[in-house]
Amino acid sequence: MKKLIAIAVFTLVVFTQSAYSQQSGYWSFQYAMGFGTGDLGAYVSAPSFRGGLIEYRKAIKDNLLVGVDFGWNVFYEKKDSDTYTSGTEALSGVQYRTQNALPMLVSAEYFLSTDNALKPYVGLGIGTMYLERSTDMGQWRLEENPWSFAVKPELGLLYEMSFSTSFKLAAKYYNGFKTGQLENQGYFSISAGFTFHL
Amino acid sequence: MKKKIIFYLGIIIMLGACYPQGPEYYEDLDLVYTNYDDQYDFMSKGTYAIPDNIVKVTGDLAEGEDPEFVKEPFNTQMLQKMESNMTALGWTKTDDPANADLVLFPAVWTNTTVYYWYDYWCWYYPYYCGWGWGYPSVSSYTTGTLVMTLVADGDDYVEPTRTWTAAANGLLSGAYNASRVTKAIDQAFEQSPYLDIK
Repeated sequence: MKKLIAIAVFTLVVFTQSAYSQQSGYWSFQYAMGFGTGDLGAYVSAPSFRGGLIEYRKAIKDNLLVGVDFGWNVFYEKKDSDTYTSGTEALSGVQYRTQNALPMLVSAEYFLSTDNALKPYVGLGIGTMYLERSTDMGQWRLEENPWSFAVKPELGLLYEMSFSTSFKLAAKYYNGFKTGQLENQGYFSISAGFTFHL
Repeated sequence: MKKKIIFYLGIIIMLGACYPQGPEYYEDLDLVYTNYDDQYDFMSKGTYAIPDNIVKVTGDLAEGEDPEFVKEPFNTQMLQKMESNMTALGWTKTDDPANADLVLFPAVWTNTTVYYWYDYWCWYYPYYCGWGWGYPSVSSYTTGTLVMTLVADGDDYVEPTRTWTAAANGLLSGAYNASRVTKAIDQAFEQSPYLDIK
């Protein structure tokens, strides 16, 4: 019962609290997790818990912010000894697979509500993603490092804690388009962190 | 000012790629490679010959000089492992290579790589380049390779012809233990099911 009351009070406070200020923009620093899909998911099945994100946003309207993102996620997996065959050749050994993904995007965020402290938004980013895929086997490394065109749809929440600081929680999907070296590289990301208002 | 420092620090950290973990044990770097002539009819053959010693390829053998051989007990351990695998695949050993369908030629060599660095801080300040400051660091590692080749000869061939090649490679640990090599020999035959003539 006490738990229910606490949750109810928290919800009321968060959803009805008025916004501290009009938005002018912010810097944001977030921790980001990644979950590979498609070719990236097949290459490294383990999620990435090594990641971060820096965002800069400037308001062009009260509910529309634009800016730039710099992200980084590291996907890593050790594949136990296995045999890889190509034609008449076969190679057995342990593989260490690492993929670094660095998206660099121009992004926009449209806030569905700006009156309350809790502000949901939808966003879209377009730009480029630098990928570095390294497959280590024995003493040899096969490296592929293309730049790809990338887009990022996003959903998130910005909770204004004070005049100068907010907490941001977001879910997004990074899609790096096919290049000459790699197929489409896509991954879901959940990020959380703080924003510092301009 | 603080935001700018955090921003640029973040950029610097993120511009570097991350390789979370590498091999922990010597075995993690062991590799076994095989290749074969898919035009050769293994099923129509049945006998093989193998020398009593495994040669060590040193690259400096003078004309008329006897080669070096792998010392005992490793020589016998490796040859026995090769013979047991060939027997399990249905091959019969003969003493005279002239009468055998195929001859199995094993050979080993080692390769030592020495590397050093002393220009590690040139990016920081050119004065600190070279031998004037900081000591040169030197390190080395030695790898060993076992190669097994099944060679066909006789009236059907203009010259001896490789029908199957296997190479096992790994870092030398200094421990006098043939188990990694015998395991690699087993793996080479396991990933060559076309040698099964039973």
